[in-house]
Amino acid sequence: MAIIETRDLTKHYFLGKKKTVIGLEKVNLQVNQGEIFGILGPNGSGKTTCLKLLLGILFPTAGEAYIMGKNPHDINMKQHVGFLPENPYYYDYLTGPELLRFYASLFSLETQTTNARIEQLLELVELHNAKKLHLRHYSKGMLERIGLAASLINDPEILILDEPTTGLDPIGCRDTRNLLLQLKQQGKTILLSSHFLSEVERVCDRIAIFHRGNLLALGTLDGLNKQYQATNLEDLFVKTISSFDNQEAAKTGDVT
Amino acid sequence: MKKMWLIGLNTFRESMRKKTLYIILIFALIVIGASKLFSFLTAEEELKMIKDVSFSAIEFFGALMAIFGSLYAISTEIERRTIYTLLTKPIRRSDFVLGKFFGVSMIVLINFILMTVFFIGLLFFKKSPPDLQVFKTLLLIFFELMLISGITLALGTFTSDAFNIICSFFLYIVGHLTSYGKELVERTENIIVRGLTDMLYTLVPNYENFNIRDKIVVGLNVSWGYVGWTILYGILYLCIALYIALYFFEKREI
Repeated sequence: MAIIETRDLTKHYFLGKKKTVIGLEKVNLQVNQGEIFGILGPNGSGKTTCLKLLLGILFPTAGEAYIMGKNPHDINMKQHVGFLPENPYYYDYLTGPELLRFYASLFSLETQTTNARIEQLLELVELHNAKKLHLRHYSKGMLERIGLAASLINDPEILILDEPTTGLDPIGCRDTRNLLLQLKQQGKTILLSSHFLSEVERVCDRIAIFHRGNLLALGTLDGLNKQYQATNLEDLFVKTISSFDNQEAAKTGDVT
Repeated sequence: MKKMWLIGLNTFRESMRKKTLYIILIFALIVIGASKLFSFLTAEEELKMIKDVSFSAIEFFGALMAIFGSLYAISTEIERRTIYTLLTKPIRRSDFVLGKFFGVSMIVLINFILMTVFFIGLLFFKKSPPDLQVFKTLLLIFFELMLISGITLALGTFTSDAFNIICSFFLYIVGHLTSYGKELVERTENIIVRGLTDMLYTLVPNYENFNIRDKIVVGLNVSWGYVGWTILYGILYLCIALYIALYFFEKREI
């Protein structure tokens, strides 16, 4: 059953003087309940645009997006969603527990539940020893980990993560990967964007490859490898993108 | 309402850690304190000078706090991308904007109270406890500061920081001059000039309405009726400013 869905989701950025940049072009996606779904693509391919449209931060030029059958601006739907932005920044003057408490209050969680969640999450992301440290003293990896904890404060059914392993060292990447698999076992649906192919390969049930705002491929890794006669994800990634670029070049007569 | 309050409280805490506002406050207290330097004047003239300088300092430095506090309230959240983590929580965009306004209002209020306490302390020191007229003047200054905050916040929902700061100061200055301008222009027969002045007079809030200090300093009384109507006038413009802020922020892509 699709818990996240987009129908011909399109986003064009208007830069004035009739200049338009395509952020996303008629994307149709369905993310099923309980799966880990990865959006892959080079920089500027539309991964973050897609996530922002799903979360109601951006408005679509055309098409529709739904989470749990609700539109992205539905307040009740957001009660069940957790989000980790790319390279997260938080309020410098807060400590980790204070940040989590602030976000918990926005979900109207009860004090007892909040306290228990904070302890549990700090333990989970291994920041329990940094409880009194202000966020301005956090390293990039620590910020990523507190961000992950913040995205889980409401015990969400759906977790949307934009480049969750950016800034993490190999051990941090492994821990995040294990955490995602653990969350999947708990029945959570996870939608993540990344350009770290190996991470995606190890955790995602299905993937989508984006390039220049277009959805080029969608399916399980095995299925896509067969379809594109690729040996692994990297090979698949290169083949789909090169094929698209060649088609585009052919259209404009610029064949190399 | 609760979420608006939470955003406001967070804005207040964040701003209280910024050095800019403390520097402005220290300057204000120095200026208010310096008004005591006019001790070579007669006691009555010195008191007038203390009141005049203090009212002006509270209004001017309060306006600086209101402009700078509101200027960064939304833009910092966008620049630092913390806004993504807020707007993806179950809060409405209107909760965010109004929360920001409440947060800035709290900062302006705290600083206004500190400056007022210092000024009143000075009056007590001069053995001239403040009368009701002094409080009427302060009340109107406070509402003027609220209006300045609302306008700067509204501009911040659809302009850059640089444009916002220029516009806010422009409106602050023009808002104090429109009534003089209107008086001058009434002598001209040029329809375009008169039309433009009328338009400015209507669009830009007349901040001079909130200025009763010249009368109070020389011992004149201002009625509660005037104070009440001016507060209503301020609230009306503030509601328009906040409506503009909500309108633009609802449509804003981040």
